[in-house]
Amino acid sequence: MNRINKNVILALLTLTSSAFLLFQLYYYKHYLSAKNGAGLSKSKGSRIGFDSIQWRAVKKFIMLTSSQNVPVFLIDPLILELINKNLEQLKNTSHGSTSECNFFCVPRDFTAFALQYHLWKNEEGWFRIAENMGFQCLKIESKDPRLDGIDSLSGTEIPLHYICKLATHAIHVVVFHERSGNYLWHGHLRLKGHMDRKFVPFRKLQFGRYPGAFDRPELQQVTVDGLEVLIPKDPMHFLEEIPHSRFIECRYKEARAFFQQYLDDSTVEAVTFRKSAKELLQLAAKTLKQLGVRFWLSSGTCLGWYRQCSIIPYSKDVDLGIFIQDYRSNIISAFQDAGLPLKHKFGKVEDSLELSFQGKDDVKLDIFFFYEETDHMWNGGTQAKTGKKFKYLFPRFTLCWTEFVDMKVHVPCETIEYIEANYGKTWQIPVKTWDWKRSPPNVQPNGVWPVSEWDEVIQLY
Amino acid sequence: MDDWKASPLAKPFGARKKRSWYLTWKYKLTNQRALRRFCQTGAVLFLLVTVIVNIKLILDTRRAISEANEDLEPEQDYDEALGRLEPPRRRGGGPRRVLDVEVYSSRSKVYVAVDGTTVLEDEAREQGRGIHVIVLNQATGHVMAKRVFDTYSPHEDEAMVLFLNMVAPGRVLICTVKDEGSFHLKDTAKALLRSLGSQAGPALGWRDTWAFVGRKGGPVLGEKHSKSPALSSWGDPVLLKTDVPLSSAEEAECHWADTELNRRRRRFCSKVEGYGSVCSCKDPTPIEFSPDPLPDNKVLNVPVAVIAGNRPNYLYRMLRSLLSAQGVSPQMITVFIDGYYEEPMDVVALFGLRGIQHTPISIKNARVSQHYKASLTATFNLFPEAKFAVVLEEDLDIAVDFFSFLSQSIHLLEEDDSLYCISAWNDQGYEHTAEDPALLYRVETMPGLGWVLRRSLYKEELEPKWPTPEKLWDWDMWMRMPEQRRGRECIIPDVSRSYHFGIVGLNMNGYFHEAYFKKHKFNTVPGVQLRNVDSLKKDAYEVEVHRLLSEAEVLDHSKNPCEDSFLPDTEGHTYVAFIRMEKDDDFTTWTQLAKCLRIWDLDVRGNHRGLWRLFRKKNHFLVVGVPASPYSVKKPPSITPIFLEPPPKEEGAPGAAEQT
Repeated sequence: MNRINKNVILALLTLTSSAFLLFQLYYYKHYLSAKNGAGLSKSKGSRIGFDSIQWRAVKKFIMLTSSQNVPVFLIDPLILELINKNLEQLKNTSHGSTSECNFFCVPRDFTAFALQYHLWKNEEGWFRIAENMGFQCLKIESKDPRLDGIDSLSGTEIPLHYICKLATHAIHVVVFHERSGNYLWHGHLRLKGHMDRKFVPFRKLQFGRYPGAFDRPELQQVTVDGLEVLIPKDPMHFLEEIPHSRFIECRYKEARAFFQQYLDDSTVEAVTFRKSAKELLQLAAKTLKQLGVRFWLSSGTCLGWYRQCSIIPYSKDVDLGIFIQDYRSNIISAFQDAGLPLKHKFGKVEDSLELSFQGKDDVKLDIFFFYEETDHMWNGGTQAKTGKKFKYLFPRFTLCWTEFVDMKVHVPCETIEYIEANYGKTWQIPVKTWDWKRSPPNVQPNGVWPVSEWDEVIQLY
Repeated sequence: MDDWKASPLAKPFGARKKRSWYLTWKYKLTNQRALRRFCQTGAVLFLLVTVIVNIKLILDTRRAISEANEDLEPEQDYDEALGRLEPPRRRGGGPRRVLDVEVYSSRSKVYVAVDGTTVLEDEAREQGRGIHVIVLNQATGHVMAKRVFDTYSPHEDEAMVLFLNMVAPGRVLICTVKDEGSFHLKDTAKALLRSLGSQAGPALGWRDTWAFVGRKGGPVLGEKHSKSPALSSWGDPVLLKTDVPLSSAEEAECHWADTELNRRRRRFCSKVEGYGSVCSCKDPTPIEFSPDPLPDNKVLNVPVAVIAGNRPNYLYRMLRSLLSAQGVSPQMITVFIDGYYEEPMDVVALFGLRGIQHTPISIKNARVSQHYKASLTATFNLFPEAKFAVVLEEDLDIAVDFFSFLSQSIHLLEEDDSLYCISAWNDQGYEHTAEDPALLYRVETMPGLGWVLRRSLYKEELEPKWPTPEKLWDWDMWMRMPEQRRGRECIIPDVSRSYHFGIVGLNMNGYFHEAYFKKHKFNTVPGVQLRNVDSLKKDAYEVEVHRLLSEAEVLDHSKNPCEDSFLPDTEGHTYVAFIRMEKDDDFTTWTQLAKCLRIWDLDVRGNHRGLWRLFRKKNHFLVVGVPASPYSVKKPPSITPIFLEPPPKEEGAPGAAEQT
């Protein structure tokens, strides 16, 4: 009796375990494909029907946001890219005629939406409704960076990210806040001690590794896979912004400490200079933006931003940097049209180019062009009297956004290295007499311009 | 599973009876030993594979999860460090169910300690006289309210009755007398103390000391009293030590429906006391008002900054009226609190608004001024697209048509560069001098008290040169200075859209309020349609004033302008009077006239090029300063301007001319 039983049980177990194994194999395959994201299987999307968990999660989320008037738009890079490729086709197909799920069914872990916080009227209660709909939500809050610049204000925290999970798919809501300078800002996704680190695979999030800044996009409504969503009117532009969106905040705390030590100059002259310099910077930024030329704060202006979050009142000029590959031949005429006549031009496009424009109230705009080498970057200088050339070396850097005098502008992300190269380790101490040929630690003599070229490379107006 | 590995090694099975097809089959198999063995081994191998696949899956999932965490680890430290700063919620041991309370009453000092923590200590001279009242939460022992009623002085006992009646039943009440608390303690108050179960309270005599601990509507938990032996001396100091049993949290709370609003209400009501029916269990007053939306609201997206200090009861009243005004958008409101006060923050949270605290900088007027600067900067930072901001203070009632008034007039600020602000307040708009809610004026003075500030004015002109903390200036006085105002004017209504109810404040006291603010006219009519708003623009206004002066009847200048009979008993007429005003800054006669008209006379307000406009007996009354005003040309040659002699010098009143 015993033996037979043993045998029967063995057979039964084999059967169940084979069923189990089959199920596991199926699950494992599914898991693998989800893990590798859609990169693996873009074409596969069409084969998976509207019952995919991704599509259902997005649908539920859109139902939620439209019923609760949550002002969101789609920013998911993967889906935006797909939409961008098929934008014409999407616009032509009439509503509801979609037979295949081409976009939202693409396997992935997250779908990212942006929430325009300033348009959001009833924040309260939204969370609860989401949870009632079956979402599990996580809210990440932090203090408001817009109050950081002001002495000693402490506000209630603002939401930065929401992550709402429906089964295996999560909706990542990136909260976009309006900032001075007509741009949208989102915060860093930073988990606090008590939060569940395994809630979702956080490292795969497309947004939140750093704070980010974006131009305020115009929006359009499209119907994607039977769902009405808002997307940026120019998805391409938005997609291009994503990899370069990293934002760094001014060091307000350190700036306050600086002013405690050195006291701010609030004389009439300082106030006037700051005002003119700010206007000049705004005008320059506007002109360069129209030309599509990237620029960053350089030299004294960059130091002012980094050290004291304001314009150094005795600096007497505004300094910008531009990569030489971004040089356009119409820069000079564009500035002249904007009311900034050329003051001098040193060097040439191939070597040590430097432009200087005359702003109002005796404030000068200096534009240094930067040349890239494999292990460093440099810009040039020219002494008008002698034709001597100088070279200022900087470690290689990338560009980040920041906010300065109510504008969104670029600064080198590796700011401290940049500033120390230019001003040495003692940059924290204000120096009023600065000799651009001798003071900078990164200056190198770079020969002399041949006299035959002087007419071209030394132009004074 | 290990058990099953052993099974194939078991002995071969013997033959059995053929009971069923299964057994037959089995039997056949048993006869073929090799095949049977093979099957068994196969099954075991299969099971092993299952185990391996399982283990691999588990490992894989683990790895993926730990990878996901790795790059989030470094950030963790920062936040945990922050987390540690939070004070431990409870000292060691379990929750205590009993509080020990000490209450001390004497001539020169009172104190109250709960569980060894001093929650009240007052030994200042010449201050804090009367009955100190503390309310504790019966479940947590937290201090919910702290008040002092100077019942030596008249009417303070009425305030005490009002307050004690508002306290929810079950709360722990602590009373203690400093110096003297009986002189104006009237029967109503004594009856109330009796109803609380106090023996000595109702019999409190001149200069007695008294300490009392009891539960509202419940048992007395301790009381001590010492009679004063003689008129010229005080009772002996008394120290009352008593145990207060704590009740459960459920008992201490009301059973409101579980809604978002009631969650806010519950949080508020478990922390503070003294806000009346908002915490009533049976019929709580609403905290959401949803006033009618304003059609075509031009100020829907204009941020509203409420400047507040530590007057939470004022703030409560102010926010109620603000949130009841038509066209309000709560998400545009930010309350700026000067200092780390909890209770104003609780009030802000009750209404679900945004509150921002400000570390105080400097002292007195400069502190207020720095608070204004930080608040205005923050407002424009938080709403970077806003072209305007509405600035309010915590001691203002807001008219129901406040936003309607602004919505109809705000385009002026955009279109007319000669404007400095729009204000809801008419300095000269008293009950007896204001009449027409549809009428607007242009004035050279900046009234404040509910006004609209243009971003460009603030960002480009005011912010960069705002008075620094060491300058003890009033921000509003500074803004009125010619260097800042630069000849620009403000738009004001005839009937104010705000009402200044604050009695305690930096530059405010009861007498001052009674004399200058109490009788101010305040619009209560909803949806007033403003008349001819575009005539308020610079040039159009001159045309309008000339038209008014041309049709105005000239008053009898031989009469005394202070007499009521100076104006005829008519209605709806326009009258004009000419007073002497030698230069642009000669306000001698005007000040005297303002004084006898019982309007603002502490400095000059409400003038426009030497012209004042107000109402008397329902007639529009114009006053022109001759010859300084350009409107002097309208004076008939026969009329001699009125001159009023200032009284002989005896005071220095203009020093008190601040209003904040």
